[in-house]
Amino acid sequence: MPTVAADPKVADSKAAKSKATAIEPQFTTAAYKDAYSRINAIVIEGEQEAYDNYLAIGELLPESKEELVKLAKMEKRHMKGFQRCGANLSVTPDMEFAKAYFAQLHGNFQTAYKEGKVVTCFLIQSLIIEAFAIAAYNIYIPVADSFARKITEGVVKDEYKHLNFGEVWLGENFATAKAELEEANKANLPLIWKMLNQVEEDAAALEMEKEALIEDFMTSYGEALANIGFKTGEIMRMSSHGLAAA
Amino acid sequence: MFGLIGHLTNLEHAKTAAHQRGYIEYGEQGLDFWCSAPPQIVDTFTVKSATGQVIEGKYVESFFLPEMLAQRKIKTAIRKVLNAMALAQRKDIQITALGGFSSIIFENFNLKEQRQVRNVELDFTRFTTGNTHTAYIICRQVEAMSETLGIDLSQSTVAVCGATGDIGSAVCRWLDKKTDVQDLLLIARNQERLKNLQDELGRGKILSLDAALPQADIVVWVASMPKGVDIGEIPLKTPCLLIDGGYPKNLDTQMQQPGIHVLKGGIVEHSLDIGWEIMEIVEMDVPDRQLFACFAEAMLLEFEQWHTNFSWGRNQITVEKMELIGNASVKHGFRPLLTL
Repeated sequence: MPTVAADPKVADSKAAKSKATAIEPQFTTAAYKDAYSRINAIVIEGEQEAYDNYLAIGELLPESKEELVKLAKMEKRHMKGFQRCGANLSVTPDMEFAKAYFAQLHGNFQTAYKEGKVVTCFLIQSLIIEAFAIAAYNIYIPVADSFARKITEGVVKDEYKHLNFGEVWLGENFATAKAELEEANKANLPLIWKMLNQVEEDAAALEMEKEALIEDFMTSYGEALANIGFKTGEIMRMSSHGLAAA
Repeated sequence: MFGLIGHLTNLEHAKTAAHQRGYIEYGEQGLDFWCSAPPQIVDTFTVKSATGQVIEGKYVESFFLPEMLAQRKIKTAIRKVLNAMALAQRKDIQITALGGFSSIIFENFNLKEQRQVRNVELDFTRFTTGNTHTAYIICRQVEAMSETLGIDLSQSTVAVCGATGDIGSAVCRWLDKKTDVQDLLLIARNQERLKNLQDELGRGKILSLDAALPQADIVVWVASMPKGVDIGEIPLKTPCLLIDGGYPKNLDTQMQQPGIHVLKGGIVEHSLDIGWEIMEIVEMDVPDRQLFACFAEAMLLEFEQWHTNFSWGRNQITVEKMELIGNASVKHGFRPLLTL
């Protein structure tokens, strides 16, 4: 059975402890690696988007800029971690696919940023993208190869903090943000459902079930909305808006 | 603070309930959607004890539906229960009852091995199956209702269907120790467990369902199946008392001949109104006062500040624990449902 050692560049990192571990055979099949080339790329691109988005929000909120730059840097570290996961499996991420995958959400964020709509920016990045990432990582961890599992477990803890940052800001500004949040939810949540549908087969090849992904997403997203100040009925209504696209 | 984890009877019921509660978007969806829906706290209410003490509770809708088990969507069913438990714990609820299929799924699929639910490490001391109180209430229903119907327990044969389960085995222990029931008929699928139960009791006949029911003066039905079971064709004695403590409770629709008395098992009535909306949806006859005994166990544990997993682990229910929870039940104003 062929084995692939971890990238020597990360020899001093914690994750490199699994360097000597042989990669389990189910992660080395052509079908797995093909699906992984897209999922891994999405994750890398997602972290890159997050990096850019937090820096952008920092421009809109000078008083929180320092904190947002810190979050952005964490996202960059995550991105590098996921690049190592791909390298560990000898997979080249399909970045072109990933860029196209995020294009619409990216466009919506850019439009909101240019209009100075910080609430919409937070909803897209801190709620939707973070909840999406948390769902993907939570569902991936139990089925990941041991190298990727360690990296992902570290990342998911950070992502909860990021979700919390947006939650706190939106909670403090709930009265003025509520209407814009509802509008932004309506415009952006269906995109997430479309995105999930688009990679349903690839995710299944990695043993990640779509319904578990949706449920985890709705759990984190719904909780964030509740912490911000929405009532149960409003949350259920807002979450169901994505279904139009499902 | 106590909690109740509940679910609806089937998809049609779920759709109707969603409409009733004003969650119209949920009411339009099929099973796939319910499979992906996260748990929600759908009711917050207070309960007053007969002693005057008042406690607050939350109802967690898990969005589990029995169709998930019927269609062998086991992973989905497991996720529903674990996610509902994680939600209860995140909301700092000290003691939560696993209602309906939740406790069955927990036990049958050994969920105690799955302590980590996303960023929550489950603390199982915060959860109870409620089975001790359910078993106690069913036993009290057997004792009180047999007297009302003129069935003398000392000359009666009691068939327990689902005898090796948590509730079934507890009912057998109580009937053996606390009553003078003449004969116990033990019915279950697993022969090894049946033999173990028979050895523990030192009595009881192991019989098939078809063979046991025609001999029984009293049938205690505590088997739970996602689709229910049809026993309408099996001839029963008259009079016969049938305590329907399983899930779903549908034996009354099958047994309509005179002399067969069907009582909903494991249901209690509180002596004071409870200000909740949720029991109307759970289809109780008197929704302000009637509830599942397993839910009432969480209330009793909260009233008594016994914040512990009182009913936990398969077949651990002793007669002493049933007496303990039974005394608390009486003290706080709960009584077994005795309306046929």
